[in-house]
Amino acid sequence: MSESNGYAVRTAGVWKIFQQEAEEVQAVRDVSLTIERGEFTALAGPSGSGKTTLLNLIGGLTRPTRGEIWVAGSELGALSNRELAQLRLEEVGFVFQAYNLLPVLSALENAEFPMLLQGTPAAERAARVQELFERTGMTGLEDRRPGKLSGGQQQRVAVVRAVASQPALVLADEPTANLDSHASEALLDMMAELNRELGVTFVFATHDGHVMERSRRLVRMVDGAIDSDETRS
Amino acid sequence: MHFGVITMLALRNLRRNLRRTILTATAFIIGGALLTFAQTFGDGTHEQWIDSGVRTGSGHVTVEVPEFRVSRKIEDRLPGGTLQLVRKAVESSAAADRVTDVFYRLTINGLATSASGARPAQILGVDPTIEASLSPLDEQVVEGRYLKKDDRLAAFVGAGLVDALDLRIGSRLVVMAQDAHKEVAGQLVRVVGIFRTGIAELDDSVIHVPIATAGEWLGTGRDLTNVGVMVDSSVAVPGLVRHLRRELAEPIAKGDATVMGWREAMPSLHAAVLVDEWGGYLMLGILFVIVGFSIINTVLMSVLHRHREFGVLQALGLTPRQTASVVLVEGLLQTVVCALIGVGVGLAITAAFSGGIDISELYNDQEMQFSGVAIDPVIVPMVTPVRILYILGFMMFVGIVSSVYPAMRAATIDVTESMKFER
Ligand SMILES: Nc1ncnc2c1ncn2[C@@H]1O[C@H](COP(=O)(O)OP(=O)(O)OP(=O)(O)O)[C@@H](O)[C@H]1O
Ligand SMILES: [Mg+2]
Repeated sequence: MSESNGYAVRTAGVWKIFQQEAEEVQAVRDVSLTIERGEFTALAGPSGSGKTTLLNLIGGLTRPTRGEIWVAGSELGALSNRELAQLRLEEVGFVFQAYNLLPVLSALENAEFPMLLQGTPAAERAARVQELFERTGMTGLEDRRPGKLSGGQQQRVAVVRAVASQPALVLADEPTANLDSHASEALLDMMAELNRELGVTFVFATHDGHVMERSRRLVRMVDGAIDSDETRS
Repeated sequence: MHFGVITMLALRNLRRNLRRTILTATAFIIGGALLTFAQTFGDGTHEQWIDSGVRTGSGHVTVEVPEFRVSRKIEDRLPGGTLQLVRKAVESSAAADRVTDVFYRLTINGLATSASGARPAQILGVDPTIEASLSPLDEQVVEGRYLKKDDRLAAFVGAGLVDALDLRIGSRLVVMAQDAHKEVAGQLVRVVGIFRTGIAELDDSVIHVPIATAGEWLGTGRDLTNVGVMVDSSVAVPGLVRHLRRELAEPIAKGDATVMGWREAMPSLHAAVLVDEWGGYLMLGILFVIVGFSIINTVLMSVLHRHREFGVLQALGLTPRQTASVVLVEGLLQTVVCALIGVGVGLAITAAFSGGIDISELYNDQEMQFSGVAIDPVIVPMVTPVRILYILGFMMFVGIVSSVYPAMRAATIDVTESMKFER
């Protein structure tokens, strides 16, 4: 589906307004944004500027108050919750700001979970996760439960989980927040390679200068709205 | 439907919350064991009632002329040969090996008279040999003996009747009733035994005489008023009734015979069993509503603690319905296993009491009776496959129903809210 359109994500006049007691919070304000397939884009902006909310909207985890969002050629507003779930399973990889690993599964099982849902054969699942674990310095921690991993280690498992099933689009919320510069470079190398070799589209929400530097496009948000949008050559 | 994944998650979650799982499981297992024992004990009790009832009454299945039940008159007797017909039908039945006895009687209402007066009496012409092995009356002898094979003018009389007519062993009395020619006929008999059951209905009116004597007296020859069939378990009754109705279709169509199971023949006994059963169901229903609510509570608590997890599952591509099924499968797995264990434990308890439980102490030496039926105080629990299946089905129903609400909660959580990053 995404082949028939040039873009991976398109939003048109998207608003997300939360009702906080008597007060209205405009978390995302009139965002119109097109992200081409194969982009490596960072969303930057101060805390509370709406980055996470925008990623959640794009991933179909929450519905916009106004406006339209297309992902992989489908307008999300036209999809049922079931169809949204299906779209996430097949097209989208998430890295959540709070990692959100499943506590009852080991690191390896967490990382291969989306592939398990997709029905990928066990051997292939294991091979892909092992390789990505090696590249992110997670080898030897496969059998640990998330509760027995550090924040940085959990974050790496979360990143591997998002990319291992080779989705068309990866939405990563602060994927390097808890990593030292060495580990975060390794993760970025890995993602950049997936981007180059498989054409996976990456959208990051980030405060991390490294990530911004290595992104080809930098979208800055302020108070829920797009403030600037630069693409480097 | 990701069934494998859902089952794995459910199993992992049950294991992670081992303490809670064990607590819930224990409640369910104890409930199941109690339920099983209570039901087998209840069924055993009812079987006892039924058994005692049909022994003093007309058998598990009775064949008689339709009018006889009400009229109790000799003119409403079965044509000769019916006994043979019933015997043959029983032999060809699928339940043949469950039949313990086929017996026959000539039962009529009449009058018993002595020098001291007259009393209405229920006079039973019986085959002493069969009756001795069948009727509980021969075990209730207080004086003398029960009828014997070659007795002719002998009578076995209830103690109440004996008192009223001022009789003793060896006394003569005359039994009177309308005979086959619609004339009043009398027969002189001698008291050989006196019984006391403690049940007025029996003690004050029942007289057993040899069936041959009765046949001569009433001019009925070898005719009978009723043929009874005894089986080893009341479970076999409905099938046997159907079979006999098929085999005796001809006399039934002519109005010469009717086939009744004990439920029809002894409606008050049936009603008593039903009332007691439903009383039991009500108690168990209440027990399981309580167990059910405690399950709802624990499952719901576990769902509330796992909001984030259910959010993640949906974010990763499980549909709300699949998310709900993680909770349902958890409940189902636990329920199935616990129901099986609980019923197993219940059956083990039942087996431990397979020799019977003497409940006579509960009754302070009073004779236990039930709608005119004396009851053996030793209850042997009864296990039937149908009952066990009902119990398993009921427990699983309770387990699943109590997971439905928590499952709905898991399905309808706010995904982004549940996965929020807390600083
Ligand atoms: N469920 C919610 N209900 C009410 N307000 C919300 C909700 N989610 C987000 N907000 C508000 O919307 C605004 C944007 O939040 P968001 O989490 O998208 O910011 P962010 O850019 O990701 O910030 P950070 O860099 O701290 O992660 C904030 O003011 C936040 O308080
Ligand atoms: Mg955020």
